[in-house]
Order: sequence, then structure tokens, then C-alpha cells
Amino acid sequence: MVLSATTEGERGSVRRDRKFGYIVPALLLITFFFVIPVLMLLMRSVLEPAPGLQNYRELLGSTTYLRVFLNTFTVAGLVTLIAVVIGFPVAWLLAIMPERWSRLILAIVILSMWTNLLARTYAWMVLLQRTGVVNKILINLGITDKPLALVNNLVGVTIGMTYIMLPFVILPLIGVLKSIDPAILRAAALCGANKRQSFMRVLLPLALPGIASGALMVFVMSLGYYVTPALLGGTSNMMLAELVAQFVQSLVNWGMGGAAALVLLLVTLALYAIQLKFLNPDRAR
Amino acid sequence: MHKTFAISLVSAMLGFAGGPTAASAADMVFTSWGGTTQDAQKQNWADAFTSTTGTNVTQDGPTDYGKLKAMVESKNVAWDVVDVEGDYAVQAGNAGLLEKLDFSVIDKSKLDPRFVTDYSVGSFYYSFVIGCNKDAVSACPQTWADLFDTAKFPGKRTFYKWSAPGVIEAALLSDGVPADKLYPLDLDRAFKKLDTIKSDIVWWDSGAQSQQLLASAEAPFGSFWNGRLTALSQTGVSVETSWTNNITAADALVVPKGTKNKDEAMKFIAAATSDKAQAGFATTTGYAPINLDSPQLMDAELRKTLPDQKAETQVNADMGYWAAHRDKIGTRWYAWQAK
Repeated sequence: MVLSATTEGERGSVRRDRKFGYIVPALLLITFFFVIPVLMLLMRSVLEPAPGLQNYRELLGSTTYLRVFLNTFTVAGLVTLIAVVIGFPVAWLLAIMPERWSRLILAIVILSMWTNLLARTYAWMVLLQRTGVVNKILINLGITDKPLALVNNLVGVTIGMTYIMLPFVILPLIGVLKSIDPAILRAAALCGANKRQSFMRVLLPLALPGIASGALMVFVMSLGYYVTPALLGGTSNMMLAELVAQFVQSLVNWGMGGAAALVLLLVTLALYAIQLKFLNPDRAR
Repeated sequence: MHKTFAISLVSAMLGFAGGPTAASAADMVFTSWGGTTQDAQKQNWADAFTSTTGTNVTQDGPTDYGKLKAMVESKNVAWDVVDVEGDYAVQAGNAGLLEKLDFSVIDKSKLDPRFVTDYSVGSFYYSFVIGCNKDAVSACPQTWADLFDTAKFPGKRTFYKWSAPGVIEAALLSDGVPADKLYPLDLDRAFKKLDTIKSDIVWWDSGAQSQQLLASAEAPFGSFWNGRLTALSQTGVSVETSWTNNITAADALVVPKGTKNKDEAMKFIAAATSDKAQAGFATTTGYAPINLDSPQLMDAELRKTLPDQKAETQVNADMGYWAAHRDKIGTRWYAWQAK
């Protein structure tokens, strides 16, 4: 007994070691090309222009920069909320549709991700501007008599980013929704639940892990987004990544740029920790 | 000009500069801002240089000051000649990021002395002018004061987004500061003036975007680089340009410190600033040559449309002042924008 247990244990650890061996290339890649560079950048935030925390004091002590943080969270929150609300029905439809059709729609969703980001963002700019297609349609339909300001402001950023983020909500959700046994919903109906009740009390709780991981991914990606806010937003809704760009590129002030980047990184890590603690998909299932 | 950023950040931090590295002896890299301007630089400067010297010139871009600094600090300089803004050239030279130019190779006696320093020579010079889409409005603003007058000219107006000479000067001129009393810049007064039109400003962050905004009449008027208006009117948009108090600034050619191709770099600059190369570039772009002999090589009609012919009410942005106060103005500028 004792002997066989030991052998069992050793075999187990050997197997684990071998598995670990396969991830060494990936680990090395990440260490050299991500972890070390990021650490070097963060070092600059406490070393430039002089050692100390003055960059953080300036960053967190100024209402201007605090407003940028607030803008960043507002945009990321709005985009996440809208993407989930729009993405959920699409994912549900894809999960229950006949495969032939769902493949086609899925291809459309994925295809949009393959188109160049700049091209898509410029397309939104053209669509949303004062003299753009959207405003022309709204005016012709009599919905508004003056062109609406849909770009160079919060509205433009939210529309453009929601569109870009949608696949990141839809794709993980499809998997989760597909894994829900349709018999459960039938059972709910048999037990007398109406449509709203079976959605709120059965489907939604079961889909929650998928919603949470999709939403978190979108939120975190949105926090660090640069191109879309820079092109579709106005300067008064500047986001954190744009601030970092100004520090690094225009002002060549890497101390402040590094400090802003570290704050962004810490917020992201904190969110990730929250997800691990409260929204662990394994436990929820 | 600072558009492409996202991907370059991490690489810039480390000096893993993108693009070609370690060019061989007969190769060098020229970096500029992309778009129609860099196309013209390649056509009129680099291609001609290659055909006479046999040195291949690889084009890279866009210019990125963060990346340039990273290259110099990590001693891994992949750019040999870089087109930068004039005020940055002065500042970077003082900060030790640039090689001194070799004026035994580059003949500075023919170059416009306004744009020559130990570390840089002019690349081309341009004016911020008032542009207007005639089809979109009944009347076009003629002066900076007009452009800042939202009662007389209602609607959106567009200005250059990044902190650089131009908009602050325009604000002060529109507020009645005489052109010869602009420097030192009264920043409080300038920002106060800018506050009055802030909600009507759409910012452009690249030349291409400025053209798009004007052509679509998203912003029917604003402040533009003159060459972009020339290019736009050639595409059939009816553009009116007002040169009243046009504000000149120059781009500069510099050599990052530690380049492995210093000799080629100096020769390239000598060739790019030659009378013929400068005349060709000016003809293509509508920007002005910085070689004093170039104008006589150019078509007389075309010459009339260049910034150097609009000298009567011209205002020269003070590059020395900007170089000294670049960081201070920039920090305040971005904070004001974000408000």
C-alpha cells in the first residue's frame, strides 16, 4: 500500500514536471518580451526625473488627471454594459440556432474582428460625423432637424468601442449558453415559470460565469484602449492610454507615462483578482 | 503627426525600435511623418540620392520622439536621418540626443539661416493658414480674429491637436496682440481666448484628418498646414485659403546620436537640402523650400502659392522660445484640453 502510494505520487509529479516543461518557451517569451520591459517602464516612474514618488503625487493630486481616470472608467463601464446587453441575445440566438445558420452569423461576427482596426474606426468617423450617413438618415426621417453630435465626444467613443468589443462578449457566451441543457428551461416552464422568470431565475444565473468573464475582458481591454478613443473622442473625454501617449510621445516625459501605465496595470490586476475570487467559473458551475 | 502609437509603446520603451535594424554600409534609414509628405520626400530626395550615390534609403515612420530617445539611450539607433518639428530639434540637440551636423559636407551658405542650428537644418517650411470650404458656408473667415469669432462665423472649427507652435500664436493674434509682441507668449491670455471657442473646436491630429474634416464640412473652417490645403484643392474641393498673419514653422532634419551611418546621413542631408531636391519637394507638396537657390528653379505660377511669397503679414513662430518652454507649454496645453 505504502509503496504503491509513493509510486503513484512520484508518477504524478513526474507527469506534472513534463507538463510544466511544455510551457517554458511561452514563459520565456513572456518574461523577456513582456515582464522585463514592463518592469523597466515602471522603474522609470520612480526614477525619472529624480528618484521618488513625485510622479505619482502629480498624477493623483491633479484634478485634470483624475478626470482622465474617471473618463476611462466611465467609457469602459458604458461599453461593457452595452456590449453585454446587445451581445447576450446574439449569443443566445447563436447557441440555439441550427448549426448551418449559426456558422454563417458567427463568421460575420468573427470577420469583423479581422478587418483592420484603423479602417473600421475611420469608417465610424465617416458614418457618424455631422454630414455623415447616420445624421442624414435621421434628418430625412424627421427624427431630428439639426445634425446630432455623434462623434468627437463620449457618444462616438462608446459606439465605436462597443462595436469593436462585441465579439469578445459574444464568443465566450456562446460556449456557456450551449453548455446549458435546454431541458432545464423546459423543466422551469413545466414548473410554472413564465418567460421572464425562467430568464431571470434560470438562464441568467447559469449564464453568469460567461457574462462575467466576457464583461471583465471587455472592461479590461477598454481601459487601455487607444486608437478608437483618440479618433472618435474629443479631448475632454480623454482616456488613460491617450494620456500615456502624450507623456511618452509628445512631452517625452517617461516618468509620468510610466506612472500612468502602472496605475492602469494595478487597476487591471485588481479587477482580475476580483474575478478569480468571486466569479470563478469552476466554482459557479 | 503623432497618430500611430499603440504598438510602438513597449518597443519604444526598450529601444526595440521597429523597422529595419543595423543597416549595412550602403544602406540607411530615413524616418518622417508618412502620408503625402513622406511620399514627396522619398520621390524628390531619397530616390535621387540612391541613384547618384548607390546608397539605399529605407523609409520608416512615423517620427516618434519617444522612440528616438529610446534608440539613443539604448545605443541601438536604427534611424539615420529623421524629420522632426523645428522646436523639438533645438530641444533634442540641447539634450544631447543628436549628432552635430558636418557642415563641411552640408553647404549651409545656401540654406535659410532661420532654420539652421548646430544639430539641424530645415527640412521644409510651412505655414498655418486659415482654410475654408467655400461650398459649405456663405462667408469664409479671413483673419484669426474671424476664426475665433463664433457669433460672426458659427459652427465647428478645427485646430492642430498636439502642443506645437501655431494655435497659441493664433489665439493671441486674434485677441489683438501685435505680431511683433507675441514672445514671450502670454499663456494666460491665450488660454482665456481659447476658452471662448473651446466647445466649437474639433481637433485634427494628422494632416489627413484635417483634410477629411474640411472636405466633409464636419468643420467648414480652421487652421491648417498650407500644403494640405493645396493637395485638397487639387482633388476638387473648393478651398479658400487666407494667408493673413500666416504662422510659419519649419520641420528639421536631424541625425540621432550614435548612428552607425553618420557619413551617409550627412551626405543624405546635403542632397536633400540641395537646390534641386528642395525645389522638387516644394513643387510636389506646396510647402516652401529652405534652400535659397531653389525658388528660381521653380515654376513662376506655383511659386506664388508658397509660404515664402506670403511674407507681408507673416508671423515666424519663435523656435528658440518654443524649445525652451516646450515641456511647460505642453503640460499646460494637454491639461487644458482634457478639462
